[in-house]
Amino acid sequence: MNQEPASRIHKNAIKAWTVNALLFGLLWFIPAIFYAGIAISQNFNNETPWYNGIDWPLFLSLFLIALILYIMMAWVLPNLRWKRWKYEVSDNGIDMLRGIIIKKRTVIPINRVQHVDTRQGPVYRKFELASVAISTAATTHEIPALDNETADELRNTISMLVRKVKSDV
Amino acid sequence: MSEFRKQHPVAGVTQVIDSIKQNFITLLIVLFIGSSNTEGYFLYFLAAGLVISLFGGIFGWWFFRFRIFEDELQIEKGIFVKKKLYLSKDRIQVIDITEGILQRLFGLVKVEVKTAGGGTETATISAITREEAEELRTELRKRNNGNSNHFEDLEEGQEKKDQILSIWKLSTKDLVYAAFTSGNFGLIASILGAVSGQLSEMINEENIRFIYQIMPGYSDVTIYVALIFAIIVVSWLLSFLGVIFTYSDFRLHKTEEELIITRGLFEKKHITVPYDRIQAVRFVEGVIRQPFGYGMIYVESAGFDQNQKGRSIVLAPYISARAVSSFLNEFLTEYEEPEYGFKPPKKALFRYIRRPNYFLLLLIPVLWYFLNRGWLSLMLIPVLTILGWMRYKDAAVGFNNDILRMRYRTISRTTAIMKKNRIQAVDLSQNPFQIRKGLVNFSATAASGAGGMNFGVEDLGNEDSFRIYDWVAGEKNIGRQHEGEEQNGTVT
Repeated sequence: MNQEPASRIHKNAIKAWTVNALLFGLLWFIPAIFYAGIAISQNFNNETPWYNGIDWPLFLSLFLIALILYIMMAWVLPNLRWKRWKYEVSDNGIDMLRGIIIKKRTVIPINRVQHVDTRQGPVYRKFELASVAISTAATTHEIPALDNETADELRNTISMLVRKVKSDV
Repeated sequence: MSEFRKQHPVAGVTQVIDSIKQNFITLLIVLFIGSSNTEGYFLYFLAAGLVISLFGGIFGWWFFRFRIFEDELQIEKGIFVKKKLYLSKDRIQVIDITEGILQRLFGLVKVEVKTAGGGTETATISAITREEAEELRTELRKRNNGNSNHFEDLEEGQEKKDQILSIWKLSTKDLVYAAFTSGNFGLIASILGAVSGQLSEMINEENIRFIYQIMPGYSDVTIYVALIFAIIVVSWLLSFLGVIFTYSDFRLHKTEEELIITRGLFEKKHITVPYDRIQAVRFVEGVIRQPFGYGMIYVESAGFDQNQKGRSIVLAPYISARAVSSFLNEFLTEYEEPEYGFKPPKKALFRYIRRPNYFLLLLIPVLWYFLNRGWLSLMLIPVLTILGWMRYKDAAVGFNNDILRMRYRTISRTTAIMKKNRIQAVDLSQNPFQIRKGLVNFSATAASGAGGMNFGVEDLGNEDSFRIYDWVAGEKNIGRQHEGEEQNGTVT
């Protein structure tokens, strides 16, 4: 059977993804907070204490779902995602293996690459990581979380390979 | 053509009509709501809107001018915001000429000039005479080599390029067959969806009592069935007329560098497809057409129009499956048809049969619970099982040196042929169950319009799919010809 691609992405990816998930994962709690807000405000002028307006089982289940998602996204998925992610760039193409539950393998023939760029968000910057995005006429694929030097190097390698293939013609 | 020219005044009117067309739905809504709520004030608004767009049309025409200057098509337009659109000759990919109904009355045409990708827009000249259009076209397609001594040679070369090498026509008989078999399930579904939104309002007790009075002895189920039947008939009629209008007088011409399509009953279209823009070829056999052994040929074409997600162009609206090979031989010489070497293994059969049935797990309980005879929905099981079995039978992949050929069915059966060096990406994917069984979903992406189009076969064997993967990923010197020409225009 076919060999898996050779290179892994940077180990810090896990931390970066965790931080990312901890930040953006707060959104999961919105339904619970939203519900609590409405319930309390509706009960505001009543004689009963404020917490009586809340349907506690409903609130707790909303909260629990959010919490489980939060923990999964922050501490479980980054590990799994990192373990699966592998890539390899050769003069034939860019080979990527990824996916958490569904295993996905993609190859982009090198002569189809239209442009390559590196991207870096605030969290990635903190961990000195960058991702490399490869665009063809049809799709854009991203190799996430490489350290800065590797990302730059990869970008240059790919664009060099593309130039080589194209001047070959 | 180095002097600025104006369009024919009809352009002003076509612009008004275009803006009415674009806002047609808004207008309808305004008409409906307005007529029920106010006492006719809205009519003034409507009239005002019409007058404004009329003035817009007239001034738009007044300020619109175009010329060919040196290597560029230059268009200047805009009433308040002046806009200058310069398209250089060698970036121009496609020149489409359309005769709308209005234009035809005055012997005029509309010209659309499209360039390759990269956020450029289409230059539209909406009304000029046919002669002017032809002049524009030849002028624009003259490659400027900067050497005037060779002008005659160029002219000659151009003539040779324009020479028609072969023609394919759609006969009237085939047109009628095509229209008959065009039953468009997507259209039916969307109409059903739109109507069912209104249904809850239509079905109140008064109406039902009324229907019972005029049709005594019918149950509500028969009324539903009759309604659905009526919708199917109407949508079929619509698609029948749609095919007649679109594909009347269909002609496909082959020249040295491009395919030229002319078609249309009231609105004549003239579409040019350069060979080096073609990304993939599809032969689609609809459920109604397949038993008769007929289908439709499309090509995917990349690049020019940022507004269009995919650009599929119909090359043959109705063609016998047996004639496809000779058609390809004649018009798309490079697209061979390699034998199908890979099919899903036996162990995938049950997965194929199961897959279309999955959504019934949700649907049947709901229908059973909410509808009177909801259990009738159980009859869908054999239908979908047969569909699954047909999908299994049809799924196949084959390749030779340069060509990938895939056949698969969603509802219609599609045969896709693409050149290896046009494959933008190949994806293999496996869910945990497939990993255990050693099965892989295979898909290849071609560029189409500003996006991509996926062709995929499910549940191939592990080894097989990796052999195809390696064929794309592994060999050296992928794709030699054409690459430079095609990419120069679009890359970086």
